[in-house]
Formats: sequence, C-alpha cells, structure tokens
Amino acid sequence: MAFYEHTFIGKQDLSNKEVDNLVNKYSEIINKSGKILKTEKWGLLNLATKIKKNRKGIFVHFKFETEKDKTVKEVEEKLTVDNNIIRYLTVKYDKLDLKKEYFAQTTK
Amino acid sequence: MRRDKKKQRKGSGYGNKLSLFQKPEVRFKKNCPLSIKNAPAVDYKNIKLIRRYISDTGKILPSRITSVSQNKQRQLATAIKRAKILGLV
Repeated sequence: MAFYEHTFIGKQDLSNKEVDNLVNKYSEIINKSGKILKTEKWGLLNLATKIKKNRKGIFVHFKFETEKDKTVKEVEEKLTVDNNIIRYLTVKYDKLDLKKEYFAQTTK
Repeated sequence: MRRDKKKQRKGSGYGNKLSLFQKPEVRFKKNCPLSIKNAPAVDYKNIKLIRRYISDTGKILPSRITSVSQNKQRQLATAIKRAKILGLV
C-alpha cells in the first residue's frame, strides 16, 4: 500500500458546480482501484507568479491510497488534457497525517 | 570614521541575510531550530514555515545562515521546490 497526496489548481473563473464536477470526476477515477481518505478544498488562493496567464487559482487537495501506480498515471494523463486545470502535483508518502489542515481558514 | 560606523549600524546592510559583509559580532544560533521537540513538520503545505527559509527573491537560504541541520535542510529544499510548483511561494 502506498499513500498519495494529490493537488490540482483549477482556473479562477470556475463556478462552484464546475469545481464539484471536477472533484467527482477525479475521485471516481481514484476510487476504481484505490480509496480516498480525505478531500480538501482550499478555495481561491493567490498564485505567487503568473502560471499560464493566471493570477489566482482554485485549489483542490486529495489524500488517497492505492496499490497500483497506474491510477496516478491515469489521473495525471487526464489532468494534462483538461483545459480547466492549470497545474497539479502528486506526492508519495509512507504515512499520511490526516488531522492537520494548513488551509482550513481559507475554505470558509 | 566614527560617524561612518554609526551610519552602517543604522542602515539595513546587516539586516539582509545574504549580505557578505556580516559583522563578526553577530552570532548565529548553533542549534537547529527544526530538530527540537515539538518542532513544526517540514511540509510543502506549511507556507508560514517555508517563507522563513527563503530570501525575498525566492532563493533557498543556505543552512550556514539559518543553522538548519543537514537532514532538515534536504527536506526543506524539496518542500520549497514543491511549493514553488504549486505557486504557493
């Protein structure tokens, strides 16, 4: 078993519904061969630098576990094609800390 | 000469961490601030912590200035790079 943390940044002009759709879409893909432990929405944050002509972005954060590396690849492949997404990051962990939320205040 | 010294003290020359002309009198902490008990976890999501260890222009500060231990410095470097990818720092 391996644990992963996955974050992607959506464009700032997405509506709440569209963001929810995105979350559902990718959590379904992960749930096929893994298990989502936690999803966090960090909300609209300022980007430090311009990324693909965007100054702000909507951050969504997953914590999940899978046995296969395939699921990560599958998600990443689909994210690269998606026009609504600016950037993503996946990090592998041996252990996950589920309690701490660094962006809890911004998600009001 | 005396005046010059006073001026230097008032100026922000020493405040800049990357300045080469640091006073020998200024002593740095010897202990690593991240290896103490109850130290905050080094993580790319912990922006408050990471901001302390980069310069104004976004460079990673060397451990000889911040007195971070080797192991923690390595963790910090990867954390900072990850935060930069996401545009957090």
